Amino acid sequence: MAIPNPENPPAAIARIEKTQLTFIQLVWLRFKRHKMAVAGIISLILLVLFAILGTAFTTEAYSNITDTSIRLMPPSHEHPFGTDTVGRDILSRTIYGGQISLMIGLIAMAVEVVVGVLIGAIAGYYGGIIDSLLMRFTEAMFNIPQIPLLLVLGKLLADKVPPLNLFGREFSGSVIVIMVVIGLTSWMGLARIVRANFLSLKEREFVTAAHCIGTRNGPIIFGHILPNTMAPIIVSATLGVANAIISEAYVSFLGVGVRPPTATWGNMLNGAYQYIESAPWLWIFPGILIVLTVLSINFIGDGLRDALDPHSLVESK
Amino acid sequence: MGRYIIRRLLQAIPLLLIISIVIFLLLQSSGDPLATMGGRRTVRPEDRARLARQLGLDKPVYKQYIYWLAGNDWLKIDFDGDGIPETTGTRKGVLRGDFGTSLVSRGKSALSLIGERLPNTLILMIPAEIIMLIFALSIGIYSALRQYTWVDQVVTTGSFIGYSMPIFFIALASMYLFAVNFRKWGLPYLPTVGMFDPKVGKTFGQVVLHMVLPIFSMSVVSVSAYSRYVRSQMLEVNNQDYIRTAHAKGLTDRQVLIGHALKNAAIPIVTLVGIEIPFLLGGAVVTETIFGWPGMGRLFIDHLTRSDTPVVMGILMLISVAVVVCQLITDIVYAWLDPRIRYS
Amino acid sequence: MNHKLIYKVLIALAVFSLVLSACGTKAGGKIVTFAWTQEPNSLNRSYSSMWYQSALIQVYSCSPWQYNEKNEPYAFMLTELPTISDDGLVATMHLRDDLKWSDGEPITADDFVFTYDMITNPANAVDSVYPYDKFTVSSPDPLTVVMTFADVFTPWMSTIWQGTIMPKHVLQPVFDTAGTIDAAEWNMAPTVGCGPFTFTSWESGSTLRFDRNKKYWETPAKLDAVIFQFVPDDAAQTAACLAGDADVCFWPPYEDIPAFREAGLNVMTEPSGYNEGWFFNLRDMATPFIKDLNVRKAIAMALNREANTDLRLKVVKVTETFWDALPAYVDPGITPWPYDPEAAKALLEASGYVDTDGDGIREDINGNKLTISEGNTTKTERQSYQALAQQQLLAVGIDLKIYSYDSDILFDSFSAGGPAATGIHDIYQWSDVPAFPDPDSSYWLCDQMPSDANPYGFNYFVCDETLDALFKQEVVTSDPAARMTIFHQITRYMHDNVYYLGIWEDGDVWIVNPRITGAKFSGVTPFFNISEWDISK
Repeated sequence: MAIPNPENPPAAIARIEKTQLTFIQLVWLRFKRHKMAVAGIISLILLVLFAILGTAFTTEAYSNITDTSIRLMPPSHEHPFGTDTVGRDILSRTIYGGQISLMIGLIAMAVEVVVGVLIGAIAGYYGGIIDSLLMRFTEAMFNIPQIPLLLVLGKLLADKVPPLNLFGREFSGSVIVIMVVIGLTSWMGLARIVRANFLSLKEREFVTAAHCIGTRNGPIIFGHILPNTMAPIIVSATLGVANAIISEAYVSFLGVGVRPPTATWGNMLNGAYQYIESAPWLWIFPGILIVLTVLSINFIGDGLRDALDPHSLVESK
Repeated sequence: MGRYIIRRLLQAIPLLLIISIVIFLLLQSSGDPLATMGGRRTVRPEDRARLARQLGLDKPVYKQYIYWLAGNDWLKIDFDGDGIPETTGTRKGVLRGDFGTSLVSRGKSALSLIGERLPNTLILMIPAEIIMLIFALSIGIYSALRQYTWVDQVVTTGSFIGYSMPIFFIALASMYLFAVNFRKWGLPYLPTVGMFDPKVGKTFGQVVLHMVLPIFSMSVVSVSAYSRYVRSQMLEVNNQDYIRTAHAKGLTDRQVLIGHALKNAAIPIVTLVGIEIPFLLGGAVVTETIFGWPGMGRLFIDHLTRSDTPVVMGILMLISVAVVVCQLITDIVYAWLDPRIRYS
Repeated sequence: MNHKLIYKVLIALAVFSLVLSACGTKAGGKIVTFAWTQEPNSLNRSYSSMWYQSALIQVYSCSPWQYNEKNEPYAFMLTELPTISDDGLVATMHLRDDLKWSDGEPITADDFVFTYDMITNPANAVDSVYPYDKFTVSSPDPLTVVMTFADVFTPWMSTIWQGTIMPKHVLQPVFDTAGTIDAAEWNMAPTVGCGPFTFTSWESGSTLRFDRNKKYWETPAKLDAVIFQFVPDDAAQTAACLAGDADVCFWPPYEDIPAFREAGLNVMTEPSGYNEGWFFNLRDMATPFIKDLNVRKAIAMALNREANTDLRLKVVKVTETFWDALPAYVDPGITPWPYDPEAAKALLEASGYVDTDGDGIREDINGNKLTISEGNTTKTERQSYQALAQQQLLAVGIDLKIYSYDSDILFDSFSAGGPAATGIHDIYQWSDVPAFPDPDSSYWLCDQMPSDANPYGFNYFVCDETLDALFKQEVVTSDPAARMTIFHQITRYMHDNVYYLGIWEDGDVWIVNPRITGAKFSGVTPFFNISEWDISK
């Protein structure tokens, strides 16, 4: 029998080595097993396409054109989703509103992840007084119920931010405020998880080894420990988008969210409440779009949770 | 255990202090309670100056916070506007139980306003929580025991849809069906506004009738979320070795479930419920607004939009205190349920 | 095992609720229910400025004179309408001798003097001392009240004694013990009143109930009780009236009016002096564009105000001046601004505003874009109007930027940076009223301009010397004909200079169930004849 040569392994061993999967491929395989999660990805892609490609068929100016003579018309040929209380086309408003809602979801999630990870990482890594202080602060924020806090912050900041111009479109300042405010009220859970992971990971040998060779704290935190705790962060981020979209809908429904004329799915539901019976198309379309989007994201998040770490103890809520 | 409790309570004090300062500062810069005192007209300058002085709103922010916390009956204030502080203040401050008088309903103290609405919220929330627990537990356990059957798939998909819906969507749909359409079809219909029919009065029957739709809307979301959690906990517990041993010993399914599985699955569920209970006091703001339920959630938003700091602070502080207390109780129950846990 | 339990529970719940709905029998008696979208914050008028509170005064309290459905005053607690001396400085009221509180005590001039004392006493944190700080009161005998004014105050009759008269025998002891009546129980539960109904109960957040006053000094009320039910918003109010759960609704959204008519409910409108309009800000911090009279004229002609009343289903009429509800005071020679976008465009072109870069928005000779900002509250109808206006102004080349605020933020003070007070917008839209039914208004007085020295001034618009002089003159002119002439000049001047653009008349709209008979409303004292309301079977 020949002595195995690493440079030129026998065929059987070569086959095994070739079929070794990378982490990403492993995750994708496990993810594919969840049919609902895959369905979630497909429907999310369709919804995003609806919001983005829709701009090829209608302009933002069109979605703001008012014509009171055609107000509150049911769905028809020129207005497939009907018209609203001032005669604006609901289909184009859901397209542009969708862009804003999705954008709010993504950016609020980004704020939440950045703040949560930073606070959790620093608290978990340095420990001691810093940990105590940061965790007390986290607990304090956690103890305040989210919607009342959102209302207070939304009211505080809503009128202080001027509108801004991005990509040739104008956004009401309240959009920025909502994104930041939702992000700032939902980072606490993630911070706790990240801190717990850091507390246990920093005792591991690879961290001690890094210390030994003189690596500074920054690269250790971001280059070594953080990549090992990506799983709960990714899952939190995904569910965070869904949570942000729903929070925006709640806050806009209560009238403290994004101000008109900027449309979002949430604030299209505010005011549609009076037409529950007489003009149901006002609330059915934005409502269904919100539910579908959030549903897809929740499915994806669930699938990711199982795929990334089948034994994870990340709470579902 | 006793020392642990005392330590936790002591730690809670700086926590509550930080919360109160943060919220107080936020409320100061968001709107002017005097702005709407002119009704549909703008407030006259003389009246504004006088009211600011009488209500203590002309003082700098840190002083206002101190008066809120510790009262002002230990110093003299300028009551009649002549610039000379000669009358003693009348407020005792939060530390002595005086949350101040509402800026909007100036005859009432913040505590009495909250006290009027608190029972209404509890009447709604406690049955809601009980119903939600019963349904979530039954559905979750049932679904876990019948994992991968079609019933489980239906329940799983249903609960996903349930907690993806914003609550006002469910409320709208249920109002549309059970109130508007039932009335059209001549069936006995459910009321949608308020806690009771004013002409009949606040009777037990009326209140229960008015509770049905709000509780239903809240339950759909909560039951969906919790049942999934119960299900995953039960699944995790069921896969443990000691369950397999119990079956191997010859215990029936029922005995295994109640004697072993449930108790272990209960721990994280207790944690979740324990944390959720104090948030009930926030009274689901959205639900109460939609159904016109006269609870603390509606009080909060009505007085927040009119910048009524004492009442808003009162509500938020009450919730925070309740959260701290409930977390402590949860930890104690936790330790009692799981003998492996010991607090130093 | 588990699903059988669930089914049983569900069925039990369903049966239970059906049984309960049958149990809800209506109590007997003639009771009228009102759907109220705002809960009053006090039942003492001095501590509340809400309309939803002032409307209740005629229910449980009484006023010396009231206004009927034509908004004409008539003596109620007095033997005749109050008289005023020739120099306009001394007014006298003669009370009837049969006035009684609901506990049997007589109402005398002492109660009026006491009310005056409480309002003006610095120990009481009342909402406003206006206009009681303009006169002193005395009572030479128990049935006469004399008001002496320091200066001529022409709007006196529409502003004094229009709140709740406080019973001295109930509140004096409270004041003596506590030093203030701020926390008096009577403010929240006025069990002693002088109106056709007395206070019975106030369930916070739910209902306010008043039952017939058995010791009423006038003809007793025909109804047994009136109940005000607090509903969370307009949608709930509409639903309550359509379903018959409430008998009377106030100020519903205009979109719902056809539904009310279809359901057979009576829609009654009543002018109340309120007009919705655009106030132009010409202060230093406004853009130079809005200070250009030609731009303002162009704006007036670019808005299709008639078509915009579609928002209110053409039920309202377009107004031109702030005083359209008092037509006698409006200059008859004023011609309304027509809807003429071509003329607007021509005017802008002639004034040097040309669209040089083809983006649809005009620029001035220096290349600055013709951009104007408007501030507004978050009321849905106003936001809809802003959207319409934006499109209509864009059609003539003006870029209108819209901002909405909660009312307590929009009307925040100058020192707190309130958008109206600091003048950061060029146009403001809201609904406002002169001292109806008196035309006086202090909105355009120069000494009311907010500044660091005068942070609470409320002239957010313009200091025009001519206009200021006219207003100062009218408030001291006691001859009615001369006063009318001055107002003709005021309305003409403001119209020609486009300082104010009328949107529509914002009168009161009442929805009344046809089972109620005899109901009339006033724009000043809404429920003036509530003791005559009856229910037909």
